[in-house]
Amino acid sequence: MTSQTAASAHLRNVNKFYGPFQALKDVSLDIPPGKVTCLIGPSGSGKSTLLRCINVLELYDSGEVRIDDQLIGYDSPGGKVMAANRLREMRREIGMVFQQFNLWPHMTALQNVAEGLERVRGLKRPEAQARAREALAKVGLADKEDNHPSHLSGGQQQRVAIARAIAMEPRIMLFDEPTSALDPELVGEVLGVMKQLAAEGMTMVVVTHEMGFAAHVADRVVFMERGEIVATGSPRDVFNNPTDPRLASFLQGYRERNSLDF
Amino acid sequence: MFSFQTIVENFPVLLGSARYTLLISVLGCIEGLILGAVICAAALSNKRWMRRIAALYVSFFRGVPLLIQLLAAYYLLPVIGINVPALAAAVLTVGLCAAAYLSEVLRGSLNAIPQGQAEAAAAIGMAPRDVWIRILLPQALKIGLPAIVNELILLVKASSLVTVVGIVEITRMSQSIAAATYRPLEIYLAAAFIYLVINLVIAQAGRMLERRLTV
Ligand SMILES: Nc1ncnc2c1ncn2[C@@H]1O[C@H](COP(=O)(O)OP(=O)(O)O)[C@@H](O)[C@H]1O
Ligand SMILES: [Mg+2]
Repeated sequence: MTSQTAASAHLRNVNKFYGPFQALKDVSLDIPPGKVTCLIGPSGSGKSTLLRCINVLELYDSGEVRIDDQLIGYDSPGGKVMAANRLREMRREIGMVFQQFNLWPHMTALQNVAEGLERVRGLKRPEAQARAREALAKVGLADKEDNHPSHLSGGQQQRVAIARAIAMEPRIMLFDEPTSALDPELVGEVLGVMKQLAAEGMTMVVVTHEMGFAAHVADRVVFMERGEIVATGSPRDVFNNPTDPRLASFLQGYRERNSLDF
Repeated sequence: MFSFQTIVENFPVLLGSARYTLLISVLGCIEGLILGAVICAAALSNKRWMRRIAALYVSFFRGVPLLIQLLAAYYLLPVIGINVPALAAAVLTVGLCAAAYLSEVLRGSLNAIPQGQAEAAAAIGMAPRDVWIRILLPQALKIGLPAIVNELILLVKASSLVTVVGIVEITRMSQSIAAATYRPLEIYLAAAFIYLVINLVIAQAGRMLERRLTV
């Protein structure tokens, strides 16, 4: 269903500053449609910033970000900041899932998912709720629609958050460390839902520390360090034959930390 | 001798005057909450001139005694050609003043809401007005509920000041009855009792609402 309409995203020479600090340095990246692109790299390397420039939760300072061939963030390259209503239209096509879930605590699971369908897509409540139920069923939470977030486990909350995003029928999905706030035993259920989305042909950009997920589900892995893309390639290239020394040392550190867990 | 008889005889009249206290408090509270939300939105706006207006508004209505505001509304508005009945002027002024305090309560509560709440709404393309009304305000009202209840109780008590523009609410009525009956102790005790009951009801309603909002 999503496969024909899946969007691509393209970053060209994107720069982002926080005051004097440069968080993204001339980043260029093509995100192919219907594929899973995983972003890995040390903390503070700019992964979240890159992701948030794609839906302009952070406005990049220069360069170009496109969804398919449409520029987002500015009216024209180097031009005026895009009008707010135009940006909102484009954001409907871009789903986002956050590390902290960011569910709305005063609403039930169903209301969390139906809210955007009503307010943004303008559906009548019964129709919005019917679609919200479908989305909840898809993430395996049909029986939890009346629960408020505080009465759901972390894994369930994140699945509701995914349902909230996919109910809007986005053409590309951004995930910012979707399992980092979860207890280890709850990680699997969220990754399971993400794999299912990937199998349906959704374009996905996933910032993750789950190297297992990146190795098995990603079509491409992108390694960032200090605001730059240092290496990209297939999971096999990146994980088995890291040519870049910084990537090799990052992976080495990861392996050591994770074998110490035993 | 303490005279229960005086209290019993005058209680209905006193209670009757409580309708003005209630009217001014309830309408002032509704006006204060709506306007307070607007002022708060302005205070958090990214437009500098909106923030300036909000800041000026709050300093003025918090800085000038309500009594002066009431007198100003009552005597000055007609001078500039606006003729409003005393009751309307009183409700308006009390609400304007309450808005200043309530906007600050809301602003404090909003700061306690994680930034991700509004981001999640923005990410699905929700318009700022909806983010405000559907996502932020309900949470701010819940967080600020104890402080809001506090402001409402202050409002009920402050409503006694509207006597200066000639409205005969509980306080004014008890003054006249006390003067007529020479029984100030009994009458003021009765008035105090009515205020107390009103405020206990508000406090209880606040607690019940708080419990209902806790999920
Ligand atoms: N809003 C902000 N203001 C200032 N600095 C920021 C802000 N957001 C991120 N940064 C800085 O930018 C760098 C990249 O951050 P981020 O993209 O969150 O990294 P990552 O997601 O890879 O951990 C970090 O050094 C971080 O401190
Ligand atoms: Mg991050």
